[in-house]
Amino acid sequence: MTTEALARPMARPLRRISERSGLNTAAGHVLMVLLSIFCLFPVYWMLASSFRPANAMFETSLWPTTMSLDNYTQAVDAIPIARMLFNTLVFSALSTVFQLLTGILAAFAFARWKFPFDKLVYTAVALTWLVPFQVVMIPNYLLVAQMGLLDNIIALILPNLAAALAILLLAQAMRGFPKEVMEAARMDGARNWRILWEVLVPNLRGTIASLAILIFISTWNEYFWPLLLSRTAENSVVQIGIQMFMTAEGNQWGPLMAASTLASLPVLLIYIVLQRQVVQSFMKSGIR
Amino acid sequence: MALASAGPTRLRRMTQSRWAPWLYLSPALITLVVWIYWPLFDALRLSFYQWNMLPTSPQTFVGWENYARIFALPKFWQALRNTGVYIVGLLPLAVLIPLAIAIYTHDLPEKSRNIYRAIIFVPMIIAPVVAAAVWRWLLDPGYGLANQMLKGIGLDPVKFLSDPKIAIWTVIVITGWKLMGFSTLILSAANANINPSLVEAARMDGASKWEVIRDVRLPLLSSTVLFLVVMTILLGAQWSFTYINVLTGGGPLGSTTNIYYLLWDFGFSTMSVGWGSASAVILFLGFGVVAFVLFRLIDRYSFHDN
Repeated sequence: MTTEALARPMARPLRRISERSGLNTAAGHVLMVLLSIFCLFPVYWMLASSFRPANAMFETSLWPTTMSLDNYTQAVDAIPIARMLFNTLVFSALSTVFQLLTGILAAFAFARWKFPFDKLVYTAVALTWLVPFQVVMIPNYLLVAQMGLLDNIIALILPNLAAALAILLLAQAMRGFPKEVMEAARMDGARNWRILWEVLVPNLRGTIASLAILIFISTWNEYFWPLLLSRTAENSVVQIGIQMFMTAEGNQWGPLMAASTLASLPVLLIYIVLQRQVVQSFMKSGIR
Repeated sequence: MALASAGPTRLRRMTQSRWAPWLYLSPALITLVVWIYWPLFDALRLSFYQWNMLPTSPQTFVGWENYARIFALPKFWQALRNTGVYIVGLLPLAVLIPLAIAIYTHDLPEKSRNIYRAIIFVPMIIAPVVAAAVWRWLLDPGYGLANQMLKGIGLDPVKFLSDPKIAIWTVIVITGWKLMGFSTLILSAANANINPSLVEAARMDGASKWEVIRDVRLPLLSSTVLFLVVMTILLGAQWSFTYINVLTGGGPLGSTTNIYYLLWDFGFSTMSVGWGSASAVILFLGFGVVAFVLFRLIDRYSFHDN
């Protein structure tokens, strides 16, 4: 099919397309600009509002006429936001590292060996991706309470030590890795452990990096599990900080937007620097 | 010499390879069993008990009573109906409109496509709580930008989040805002993967623009579209959880409560573990059946390029 089409003379149809496409392209641009505005405007409005002084909060001008940092100082006074950002960083970084570690080990088991029940175990891992968190939340909460870890950052990490998504994606990548290279390493007498860390992992850096971005951003934005466990602002993550702020301070829009901006800043910075990789890693793996 | 050493090595290899995979799997499996599989069974057990979550109070066995009570509860049926509304409302935002945009904009130049791509992806990485805060500010009945603009053109302000008829649609649009760009990107990528020679061949055969879309593009996009539809059906109501929790608290009058929010409400507002667990079991079984049927449908009806 492909080669046949390539052999066909293309000149005539191509010219026909270019005559017609001017108008279509313009309409396409209009459509995309509208969608872009819809997607970006709320984020812009958050930034703009966060810099408006209190007496200009209700202005509707697109660009703040006067700028001030009052909202930020107020937000910092109202909630321990630096502490919360640090907690969120610890939570996200540790979750990322552990999910990658457990994922790499488990994926290697699936890719390297055939063992009894391997298909069954693989399916069991995959199915956990479909279990809604709300279904297991009560027993999980009770377990954490029994361990005496309520209101503790460690408890946030525990259920995030491993995730189906990381295991499945890495297993896929490792299965796609050329068997001959692994075989050659084995001939040289390398043991499994070394094959994994010295051959596979360095070669799968791309997959691992994009997975790391995905896990980090999703954990940073995690809301539900911290909501169950949090008791005090000092021991919680920044998403809970915003929620507490909204409940406690009601309609303090300026400081709320400042806090929201601070909470999104790390992720937005990652996005600005690694835009292409972030989009790719989300598209490759997940909608959840 | 060679024979003598081959024996033990081979033996060691065999025992090693019997246990090695399980050794490598154990950290992940232990986590998944402790935090997902065990809790599933525990939820099943607790669904037959009455308990208020206090360690000091007794757990009383009540048989099927929790289930009977939940099925008799109007709130449950309302939440179920709302879950349906969320799914139906999200489908245009998460699938149909992105599909139209993806098809319509496929011939934009590479450079501008990349810029749009970077912009429309932004909602996806914004934290749901932050999104909720920003939308709450935009939709504030007194001073929010939306209502100020409505006032500007002489219309009455709309209570986006406190009118029982409107609130659920507001939450749906906010959830859709989060997903629309992402779905568009997925569909654009699938659309760009269509072999241009197929489209060209159809054109040479005299197919009109619409016929090309109907007979070539849509069938080739069907598996991606089906995937997005399935994800929306399975996860749509879950995605809206944060917005419901932060923006409406399930109200007004339960009008935005869906089945996931109801679970949270049972478990952590009324502290009734039995009800919460029973509805979790109902949800899980219902979810499982729907997922099974949908994945079978994908298998049967998706159209493959090669």
